[in-house]
Amino acid sequence: MIQVKDLKKVYGGVIVVNIPGLAIRKGESIGLVGNNGAGKTTLFRMILDLIRPDSGGVLLKDEPVAGHENWKNYTAAYLDEGFLIDYLTPEEYFYFIGGLHQLNHAQADDFLAGYADFFNGEILKRGKYIRDLSKGNQTKVGIASCLLQNPELLMLDEPFANIDPTTQFRLKNIIKEQHKKGVTTIVSSHDLNHVTDVCNRILLMEKGKIIKDMATSSSTLAELKQYFAIGDTPFIKALQIDPEENH
Amino acid sequence: MIITFIKHEFKAFWRSKNAGKTLAVRIIMSLLILLLLLYVVAAGFLMDLILKKVYPHDSLIFSFCGIVLIYFVGELFSRLQLQELPTLRVQPYLQLPIKRNTIVGYLALTALFSIFNLWPFLLFWPFLFKVVLHDAGSRAVISFMVSFIGLSIFNNYLALYIKRKANLNGWVFLIATAVLVLFILGDWSWHIYSIRNVSYLFFGNLIKHPLLALIPLALGALMYYVNFLYLKRNLYLEELSTKKHEYKSSTEFPILAGFGATGSLVANEVKLILRNKRPRSALTISLLFLFYGLIFYTNPGLKTNEALKVFAGMFMTGFFIISYGQFMFSWQASHFDGLMVSKVSFADFLRGKYLLFTATSTVAFILTTPYVYYGWRVLLVHFIMYLWNLGITVNIVLYFANRNAKRIDLSKGASFNWEGVGATQLILSLLLFIPPFIIYLPFKLLGHPDLALAAVAACGVAGILTRGLWIKFLEADFYKRKFAILDGFRNK
Repeated sequence: MIQVKDLKKVYGGVIVVNIPGLAIRKGESIGLVGNNGAGKTTLFRMILDLIRPDSGGVLLKDEPVAGHENWKNYTAAYLDEGFLIDYLTPEEYFYFIGGLHQLNHAQADDFLAGYADFFNGEILKRGKYIRDLSKGNQTKVGIASCLLQNPELLMLDEPFANIDPTTQFRLKNIIKEQHKKGVTTIVSSHDLNHVTDVCNRILLMEKGKIIKDMATSSSTLAELKQYFAIGDTPFIKALQIDPEENH
Repeated sequence: MIITFIKHEFKAFWRSKNAGKTLAVRIIMSLLILLLLLYVVAAGFLMDLILKKVYPHDSLIFSFCGIVLIYFVGELFSRLQLQELPTLRVQPYLQLPIKRNTIVGYLALTALFSIFNLWPFLLFWPFLFKVVLHDAGSRAVISFMVSFIGLSIFNNYLALYIKRKANLNGWVFLIATAVLVLFILGDWSWHIYSIRNVSYLFFGNLIKHPLLALIPLALGALMYYVNFLYLKRNLYLEELSTKKHEYKSSTEFPILAGFGATGSLVANEVKLILRNKRPRSALTISLLFLFYGLIFYTNPGLKTNEALKVFAGMFMTGFFIISYGQFMFSWQASHFDGLMVSKVSFADFLRGKYLLFTATSTVAFILTTPYVYYGWRVLLVHFIMYLWNLGITVNIVLYFANRNAKRIDLSKGASFNWEGVGATQLILSLLLFIPPFIIYLPFKLLGHPDLALAAVAACGVAGILTRGLWIKFLEADFYKRKFAILDGFRNK
């Protein structure tokens, strides 16, 4: 599905992304973790042809993203509020996105009705423009608009960051459902519990490099926590019990 | 504290991603301003000779007193058009332990650093020293100086006050301009009163009673205070304006539904224009400019001049293209990433722009049809310029749009935000007015006015017929610059 080759991006002499090779198969569910500045968002943006790589490139379905537009037909992404048209009402935005994918209003409404729980009554028919919604609710709009596109590749950058615990829980189920449907998903997150719970393959980035690429197992969470809690040994020991409780 | 503010402002200016561009624009601007200043200085030094020539029968001081107030009325008018609001991004300072008065005082005071405040010094002071000092003594000179300073301050803050109000509501600006134009017309065309006589009355008496100079000074101080209070009250403005809870309903434009993806892009853009203050005022101003023709066509001296019809026709049918198109694609900067990733081909995106401009120009053309009252030829010229705008102006505007990577934040309250508007906008729009005359004037001057119009029309039609090619060209051009544009738009 995704092939990354010799991908490199340098900002002011600092390498922000440097990935010699990465292949993601169709239907995989990828979790992308790493501290701030590890290069997660830059990688997302290069996959979406929003930033020009200094070398190398990204292939989606064996076709380079740069200079082509076919990938837009099966890719849906929500990275930040910059993906939303904020002076529209959520309905108008959904109809716009749905229209691009040949869905009429009724079909879009039907689809959205299935996400009433996820919206928790805060999105539709509230008489607000997207810009007047809270950041968490904007995230909901962004995620729902991705799903509306019925994508083969779904990319979410820190979707758990601004939403309430209930919605986080629901979002995890949504991502799992997408995975069951055979959708390739890439989700970045700082929440290690969520990401190990949802994804079957974890990529750990540090300073632009993928330093760990592992299939999720019962020990993954502990391993990740050990990596992130540098020099805080008692804390790690306490946490290592966690995965058992988390099942 | 104020010095810290100034330091921050300098940093904001130099460290902005667009500094290079702004700087280039500023250098060109300052050269132009320097040239203008040279003229003003020359006029100042030769004031006595000029006055002698214009009013050969009056005494020098008498005629000088007559023009002063006229100057200040004219100055107010040009300030309204050109003076820029001083901006300090105040938000980060509001919650810090800095007195509100300091912030507001800074904003209000720096407003005095405007080139406009230099003009009266350059224009009038040489005359004061050359003539008034000799004829009426030093006390009169000082009283003149004080009253000039007072009037400058008054004008300065009045213009800024109106501009600040206009940021919230485009109509304020239109009304203020209209009132001022009517005020000037009341003297010039209708002779209801004479600004010149008022000027005589005041400045004539000023020579005898120097203390009268305190009146303009008091007016200036009052206007400053009004401005200060307004700013102080409206430091809250952003929160206040978003607290309005009215139900925002979803709208649809059935006419556009037939155009597919292009149509829905245009529908979005129409909403963009109607739901955001700044693009909305671009629209209202273009509507007001539909009356522009009245200035030319009612004047018997200008009536026969067809080049002016060409100009007016272009202006009226194309003003929206120019005023709104100027900031393309910046209007959509905040969601440009999303547009690039969604299933929209850039060709469709461009077709949307063409459709939008075609629609607005067509409406503008239809609204100008009443000018047929001044002859069928007027209508013909308007139609030809309408074709020109759709065939040529649109392409120029979109070509420059590919070169614009400056973000406009629509979501920001407009109160302290006058991004990119002012003299620079005027200069750029002037660039758009030259091409039709390059085609038109040679034929016209050779004595073939019909041929000249036909040539302009042919260019317009050719531009419209070759739209497919233009779209391809602009698309290829865009992909060369895509990443720079995206980067600029992401840079808040």
